[in-house]
Amino acid sequence: MKQRDDWHLTDLLEYEHGRGDPFAAAVRATRMPMVITDPAQSDNPIVFCNESFQKLTGYTREEIIGRNCRFLQGPDTSIEDVAKVRAAVDGGHDIGIDLLNYRKDGSTFWNALYLSPVRNSDGVIQFFFASQLDVSDRIEAHRIVAEQKAAVDREVEARTADLQAALEAKTLLLHEVDHRVKNNLTMIGSLLRLQARSIADPAITAKLDAMLERVDALSTVHRRLYQSADITRFDVGAFTANLVPDVIGSTGRTDIKLDMHCERVEVPSAWASALGLIVNEVVTNAVKHAYADGRSGKLTVRTEHNGSAAAIEISDDGPGFDELAQRDGLGRVLIKRLAKQVGGTVEWAGAAPGAKVVISFPVERP
Amino acid sequence: MIRLEVPFEVLIVEDEALLAMDIEAMVEDAGHHVVAETASVRELVELVPKRTPTIAFVDIQLAEGSNGFDACRVIQERWAKAVIVFVTANPLQIPDDFCGAHGVIPKPFTRNGLMLAMRYIEEGVCDPPPVAPQPSSFIASPAFAATWH
Repeated sequence: MKQRDDWHLTDLLEYEHGRGDPFAAAVRATRMPMVITDPAQSDNPIVFCNESFQKLTGYTREEIIGRNCRFLQGPDTSIEDVAKVRAAVDGGHDIGIDLLNYRKDGSTFWNALYLSPVRNSDGVIQFFFASQLDVSDRIEAHRIVAEQKAAVDREVEARTADLQAALEAKTLLLHEVDHRVKNNLTMIGSLLRLQARSIADPAITAKLDAMLERVDALSTVHRRLYQSADITRFDVGAFTANLVPDVIGSTGRTDIKLDMHCERVEVPSAWASALGLIVNEVVTNAVKHAYADGRSGKLTVRTEHNGSAAAIEISDDGPGFDELAQRDGLGRVLIKRLAKQVGGTVEWAGAAPGAKVVISFPVERP
Repeated sequence: MIRLEVPFEVLIVEDEALLAMDIEAMVEDAGHHVVAETASVRELVELVPKRTPTIAFVDIQLAEGSNGFDACRVIQERWAKAVIVFVTANPLQIPDDFCGAHGVIPKPFTRNGLMLAMRYIEEGVCDPPPVAPQPSSFIASPAFAATWH
């Protein structure tokens, strides 16, 4: 008997009888399924398998010994994984891999295979040693987790698509409403302008023009609101910086100098119309009355933001308030009531010469 | 580069009768002439104006389901030298190249805004570059603004 066949004897020996190799006995008795193959024989057959291996696969020792390990493979075993095992055997190195294997009764199990070459003192491979472990539970758990994750992902995707569609519908609706508001404001302006043209009485025309300017101010407020990225906030400073030159420019007058310093003053968009109208009233009044009859001068405009408070200051160097008080009474009432609406106050003061109006208001709702 | 004489011969392409009337009145107040008003691209194609339009104010949403971009192309084909200004409530719809148009007046427009825009365009095409600052009521197309530099 050759030396390499010595271990066969251990199959026949009983350790508890004080004979045989204690290591071989341990391999035979362990819970870990194990096989040993002999690459020196044709097709590298299994030359040893322990009890656990037989239990795991359902085959008897007689059915196992002499066969190549591939008899455990079946139709769903991964061809790529098998190729990796073959490459390890051919290359003489070890490998750990999970393979889908088949029992004798056709049922499947996930086999955590660990295979390593056993070399003699010359470094020549004598055997391959392979241990198996049924990890079906672990693989199954992984599969369930992956399946649940995929299901959650699908659900998230569907919900995201729903929300996206809802958002698109909402955005479309907002654009539509915005478009209609703009068209209606334009038409109101057009109606007033057309009416004003057909009236001969200059007093009535002046009142219609004042109304028109108010509608125009509202239009400008709306346009600015819907042009900005955040439609919940309104920058009174930028609005004022825009409106004042437009009002002066429309008079065609070049003898009214403008000293303007407008800080950014953001307020909730709900206040935009009120503050827009106030600025319009004060500026149009100043331009019309402080510089009436071709009187030239300088209009000073400031918007300031100080912590939770803000102020709009408009001062002219015209004749002062005696003259101011006499004009269209609605303007002053509008300024007072609208300032109160945004929690603010109005102060009229002589600026010697001229008049100064200061509107103070909080920038957040109290 | 387009050089125009004043007064302008204005073409108004707008499907809202009220707005067309209003724009017409303001154009005449500014000292220009309205040569024609059309409400759709079909009307524009069939139009036989008494004089050649030199500037067109074009709404984007037009009658008969037509739109201002098609109107813009028709104007460019028929009156190649005309300055084209969109007048729309939705300026964001306008492509980056403005379809070759010269600018946009956003709706709602105001009397002040439209008058200032017309004065600015007048300066921009009759005696460029414009001296007045660009009013908030008019946005020049990049190509139009580039002719001043």
